Amino acid sequence: MPAVSHLPVAASSGSFLITPNVGLMIWTLLLFAISMYILGRWVFPRISEALDRRQHAIEESIDHAERVRHQADEMLEEYRERLREARAQAEQIIERARKSAEVRERETMEETQKRREQLMEQTRRDIESETRRAIQEIRREVADLTVMATEKVTRKVLDEEDQRRLIEEALGDLDFSALAPDGDRD
Amino acid sequence: MSKTKKIVLGVFAFYALVFVALILIYGITQHKNSEFQIQNEFKLVNWVSLGVLSINRAVVYLILATILTIGTMFWISRRMQARPNRVQTAVEVIYSLMRDNISRGNMPDSMAAKWFPFLGTLFLFIWYCNLIGYLPLPTNSEEKFTLFGAHIPAFALYAATANISVPLVLALVVFVAFNWVGVRAQGPLGYLKSLVPSGVGGVGAFVLGILEGVSTLMRLLSLTIRLWANIFSGHIIILFMTGGLAVILGLQALGWFALPAGIIIYLFELGLVATLQAFIFATLAAIYIGGAASHH
Repeated sequence: MPAVSHLPVAASSGSFLITPNVGLMIWTLLLFAISMYILGRWVFPRISEALDRRQHAIEESIDHAERVRHQADEMLEEYRERLREARAQAEQIIERARKSAEVRERETMEETQKRREQLMEQTRRDIESETRRAIQEIRREVADLTVMATEKVTRKVLDEEDQRRLIEEALGDLDFSALAPDGDRD
Repeated sequence: MSKTKKIVLGVFAFYALVFVALILIYGITQHKNSEFQIQNEFKLVNWVSLGVLSINRAVVYLILATILTIGTMFWISRRMQARPNRVQTAVEVIYSLMRDNISRGNMPDSMAAKWFPFLGTLFLFIWYCNLIGYLPLPTNSEEKFTLFGAHIPAFALYAATANISVPLVLALVVFVAFNWVGVRAQGPLGYLKSLVPSGVGGVGAFVLGILEGVSTLMRLLSLTIRLWANIFSGHIIILFMTGGLAVILGLQALGWFALPAGIIIYLFELGLVATLQAFIFATLAAIYIGGAASHH
């Protein structure tokens, strides 16, 4: 602390403490007026403007946020709706596919069945006709052989008419049932 | 032992030690003080002679307060940003206090818009005057110290508002303002009549009118004295506690003994009274002006 040099000061009464000083009052008034003028004209409007602008910006951003939220809600609802639809559609598609697969399967099975039956029928018919043809063949062979044998045995030629009759008689006694299909005897 | 406890105990021990040392060195002796007059701390000495407008200490403080009020507010108002920093936030809080609490809280919005510059300036001006009163500045021209050969006024705490002229003239402005508003809103006769509660007639009205008239005048005094006395007494107590008392009584140890109280009062004055008194002054001004326009 620097040395404080006491200057001799005359003892004064304290009344000046509560005596208004006109010069100081004028100074106060003047400086206050200047302050008020400058603050009121250039400072307060600026601050007020900035605050209002911020207020405005805040309100706007709240509004904006609200709008965005609303939109998001709508979108979400829309997507949910779409999802529901898609799920329903998917189920429908699967159901349809399942049904069509079943139908297809059934059809295929039926067709196969029919085809097999047809094939078997055909086969049966083929066998039958083959059998019939074979029997005819055998008969003819047997008849020819019999004629030849008879000629050799009797040394005589029977006329065609007689031979046929004789053979038919003989063959009538023969049993071909073993060769022919069941109950299909000639 | 916790760290805080250690620090507190250490400070206390240091305080007690210095106190004992001072008593041992100087003893509890008293020597007569004749030259230090505490009121002289508040004496106005003309530094620049300009007749009635001579510049003295209080004027310097007022000019300083004006420059700081305008300067800081102007500076900040040019730098208002959408995303405020701390200083701007603080200014905005003060601005909202002035606009919403002081102005709009006490008068209709249309009036508040008109009177806000006045009330806001009133608050800021008094606030700055009060606050710089707690900065030690080299303004005590009665006591000088020498630094490198230059005689520099001693550092002192002083406030323009601790001088009665400053609160008085501000209160006068408020007084004129609210009476003017009252007369304009209700006419001269209507305003006088509004001083008397409605429904009272005859002698009662006369007596009540005088009482109300006196109470209106008392507003001028109460505004002045509330501000002046608060700041003045705060300064005088700080002065007493931080050495004044020791000098007057000539007891060195007492100065050290009272120092903590001085520091506490200093912080109390700086942190609360300076702001509170500015707020009260501006709020009462708003109440008076708002009340004059819409009288019972």
